Formats: sequence, structure tokens, C-alpha cells
Amino acid sequence: MILVQNLIRRFGSLTAVDGIDFEIGAGEVVGFLGPNGAGKSTTLRILAGFLPATRGRVVVAGHDVLTESMEVRRRIGYLPEAVPLYRDHRVEEMLLFQGRLHGLSRREARRRAGEVLERVGMGERSRSIIGRLSKGQRQRIGLAVALLPDPEVLLLDEPTSGLDPLQRIEVRKLLGELAADRTVLLSSHILPEVEAVAPRVIVLHRGRIVADGTNQELVEALGGRSHVRFEAVVGDPLEAQRLLLQLPGVRSVREEGTAGIHRGFRIDADGDVREDVGALAAQRGWAIRELSWQRPTLEQLFLRLALDLDPLEGEPGGEPVPVETPASPQESVQLELPVAGESVAPQAPGPAPTLNPFQPPPPPAT
Amino acid sequence: MKGFTIILRRELAGLYFSPVSWFLLAATLLYNGFFFLTMLQASGGEVNLALSAMHQGPLWFLLSFLAPLLTMRMISEEGRSGMLEFLLTAPVTDAAVVLGKLVASTVFLVVAWTSVPLYALLCQFLGAPPDWGQVATQWLGVAFVATLFSGIGLVASAASATPLFAAFLAILANLLLLVLPLATGFVRGPWREGAEWVRDKIDVQAHFQGSFLTGAIDSAHLVFYAAWIGLVVFLAVRLLESKRWAR
Repeated sequence: MILVQNLIRRFGSLTAVDGIDFEIGAGEVVGFLGPNGAGKSTTLRILAGFLPATRGRVVVAGHDVLTESMEVRRRIGYLPEAVPLYRDHRVEEMLLFQGRLHGLSRREARRRAGEVLERVGMGERSRSIIGRLSKGQRQRIGLAVALLPDPEVLLLDEPTSGLDPLQRIEVRKLLGELAADRTVLLSSHILPEVEAVAPRVIVLHRGRIVADGTNQELVEALGGRSHVRFEAVVGDPLEAQRLLLQLPGVRSVREEGTAGIHRGFRIDADGDVREDVGALAAQRGWAIRELSWQRPTLEQLFLRLALDLDPLEGEPGGEPVPVETPASPQESVQLELPVAGESVAPQAPGPAPTLNPFQPPPPPAT
Repeated sequence: MKGFTIILRRELAGLYFSPVSWFLLAATLLYNGFFFLTMLQASGGEVNLALSAMHQGPLWFLLSFLAPLLTMRMISEEGRSGMLEFLLTAPVTDAAVVLGKLVASTVFLVVAWTSVPLYALLCQFLGAPPDWGQVATQWLGVAFVATLFSGIGLVASAASATPLFAAFLAILANLLLLVLPLATGFVRGPWREGAEWVRDKIDVQAHFQGSFLTGAIDSAHLVFYAAWIGLVVFLAVRLLESKRWAR
């Protein structure tokens, strides 16, 4: 449904989009994620036919954006970040205008206007003056305008930008419903929004795609593997560490500090080894305080980008290459991302040579 | 042209539902009424003379200012509000967007000026019938001039980031268009011939007075106006297109 090949967009000396490629199938819902200035809006504007590309090929709904711009425009619904609405118009006038621009008859446009207003939960506001609506309501009307021609492809640029948390939840829910019957590409720098709506995420950074996949694939590709967190009264921590390491599938065990008489361990394994750890604890008589499966989130990946830690560091070719998780425990400490539940605030660099703000504090000397 | 009539209707609605536009209409009515009465008294009650006088100074002064005030927001404000992004990603051509706005502004200006033929009608009822052929050609000429000045206003609006600057640019351009032909009269020596050639190409007033004002429709003057209007429309469309390249 959307095909982008070697897309480049320059503004003078600035390269906003730097040779990106991706393909989105019919009915897919994809989130464009990246910090401000990553090139998300520029890419969406090119897809919508507003901006011409400096180089590259873009095909939307089977039509080339450059040579068949009108065909593309007939098939898309585009909602820019600054919701474009005539503020002195009534809601239904704005929708009728959009319908007429898309070649609908007055009667058909009026029928569609009623449908989309119901869909965005604004059915009772059709006679309201747009300028008098709240920002959240205007956002919904913007969505209704984009939906009115019943587009095959929906392009949404920061659809929840500037909304309060409640409004965000409402719009997110609406996006989830819309995603059921059309191809949707939405951009955002708000992670929960993308995670909640889009099964697939494309991460842009400095105009390049640094990751493309499902949420879990992305965090794993960038080194954030899931692990088991184990905290218990173990007596001799070195002996406990040795025993844990002997469990099948366990690749590394690292002590993660103490809380009173409890010792914490991070167990990296090929799968979920909680049952084996629990059995070992029962066998050894260790009093367990915590035994949990820790799953990294996309948020950490995003923070890594936002803090300008280039995920492609060391990959001059620029291809979105997954970051390998090294085998040795020491290297693992340097590459790992924080896991859910851990603090993600940048910390002062420790004794390790890499400046990774997400590196957890070194374990206390034993 | 796809989308032209839809853009035109929206722009007309935008103009006629705006309180500012109604203020401008009322001000124009007063302006026309004042000058028509003054001209009528000065001509000793000669309606055709008064009408001709109206289409000299008062018409050009009014359009030089009124057209920029109407067009100043049409592109620059839409660029600021994001509506331009909406229009330029809708299935309508850039030319349809410009022409829709151009014709809407022209219609508003012509309707505002139509109070003058209405005064002529009033004179007819009062027993002083005007030359209706001449009134019709004058009205047609006003439509051409209004289109040209609206086009200049749209060029300024497309070239400016703010409506106020757009109005300033357009008023300046309109006044230059009116004053420059007069300035060529001061050129002496070997440059005089060249200056006269230039004056002939830019003197919109002379082409109006040589044709529409006298009640004659001359194709040369029609082509002159059509060429100027074509040029400003072309410029406005290109400037609108250039918005796609701006960051």
C-alpha cells in the first residue's frame, strides 16, 4: 500500500530525510517514532504529496506520488500536526467542503459527514463553530475531515499532540478503531501512543531508519533482552551465583546489589527460567522476595535516541543493524538497556569506559 | 478545472460572512456615493460625464487599496494556519486554488463597485438617462481591472509570510503600476522612445481610458489586460507551488 525507496529530502544544506526505504502492506498500522527533527513530518508530507522528494520513489495506493499526485491525493486522508480547519466555519461546513473537494455530491458529503462525526464521537457538534471548540475536539474534527473521503491510507502526524492525558486516551482509542479497516501510518514522539496503536514501529533518527519491526523485535534488536530478576536471602552470594549459572539456558548471572539481608540477581537466559530458579530456591531453602520476568520497553530505545545516543554507532553503513548481545557478562553490562522498573534517569559514568547513561550502577564490592 | 468552483464558493462565503468585508462594502458605498455626488455637481448634472469621472481617479484609488485588503490573507494566512497544506494535499490543482481565490476577490470588488451603475439607474428614474452601453463597457472594464489588482494582491500574499506585509507589498505594486507610466513623461533624450514603449506596456489606466471608459471594446486592450492577468496568475501559481519547497 505504501512503498518508499531511497527517499531523500534536503532543505538547502540540511538533509531532513536521508535515504530511507520501507514498505507498508494493506491494512497495516505502522507508527513512525523518533525525536523532534527526526524527519517524521517531512516523510509524511512527502507521502501526502505536499512536499516533493529531492530523490527517491514513493508509491501510495499503487500510484507514484510525484507523477500521479492527484490519484494519490484522492486515496489518502492526511492530518498534519497543526490541524487544518477553518476556525470560522461550522463543523459540518468544513466537512462538506472536504467532501466536495474529493468529488462527493452534496448529499453524499452530508451523509459521510454524519457518519464520520459519529465515529469520532462529535455527532452532536455538527453545528458548532470550529473556533469555539476545545483543542481535543478540534483534533477529533481534524480526524473526521481526514476520514471523510473514506481513504485507503490514513496519514496522521502527531495526532495527539497538545492534548491532555484524557483526550489522548480518547484519541488513542479512536485510532485503534480506525486501524481496523485501513492502512494507517501515524507519527509520534509519544511512546505509549505508538505502542498502544501500532503493532509495527519504524524508528527514525536524523532522517534515517534505525529500527523497523514490532515493539518486541525492536527492543531485542537494540540489545534490550528480557531477563529474570531474582531477589532472595541466599547466604553465600557467590555460591548462589554459581548455582544459578549452572541452570539450563542461563548465559549470565550478575549480582545487582543488596536490600537488607536480600541479595538481588539479574539472570540472562535464552528463555524464561523462573520455574528453574524457583525450584532451585526451594531446594536450597532460599527465602524469595522477588522472582520476576523483566521485559524492556520501547521507551528505553526512544530515550536512547532522544539523548542522542546513536543506535547506529559503529555502523557506518547506516543500515538498521540489530545490536548484538555479547556473550561475556562484562560486555553485557556495557550494552544493556535498562528494564521496566529500573530508573532511566541518566547517571554519571561509572568505571566502565562507555558513556552509557542507562548503565546501572556497578554492583557493590563483595 | 477540478476544485475551482468549490474553492470559489468557499472564498466567497469567507468574504461575505466576514464582518470586515461588510465594513469594507459599507465604506465603499459611502466612498462611491460621495464621489458620484461630487462629480455630478461638478459636471452640472451631466450623468455620463460624472460616470466617466468616477472611472478615473476614484476607481483606481479605491481598487489600489481595497483589492490588497481582500487578498492579503488569502494565501499568507492560510500558509500560517496550515490550511494551505490541507488544500495542496486535496485533489485540486494549484491553479484551481489560485483562480478560485482570484475570482472570489474579483466578484467582491465588482459587486462593491456596482453601486455606481446603481446610481446611474437612479438618475434614469430621476429623468437623466445615462448611456447604458457605455455604463456596461465601463462595468466590464472594472471587472478586468479588479481581476488584475486581485491577481497582484494574490502574488503579494503568496510571497509574504504575514497578511499585513502582503497588503503593503500589493498596495505598493498597485501604486507603482499607476505612477510609473506618468514618470516616463519626464524622460528626455535618447531614452524617451524606450520609455514610451515601456509605458505602453504597463499603462493600465491608459488602456482602460482608451477603450472601456469610452464605451468601446477594443480587442487590443482586452488582450493587454488578459496578458497582465495571465502573468500575475502564473506568478501566483508558481509562488504557491514554491511553498511546497519551503521548510
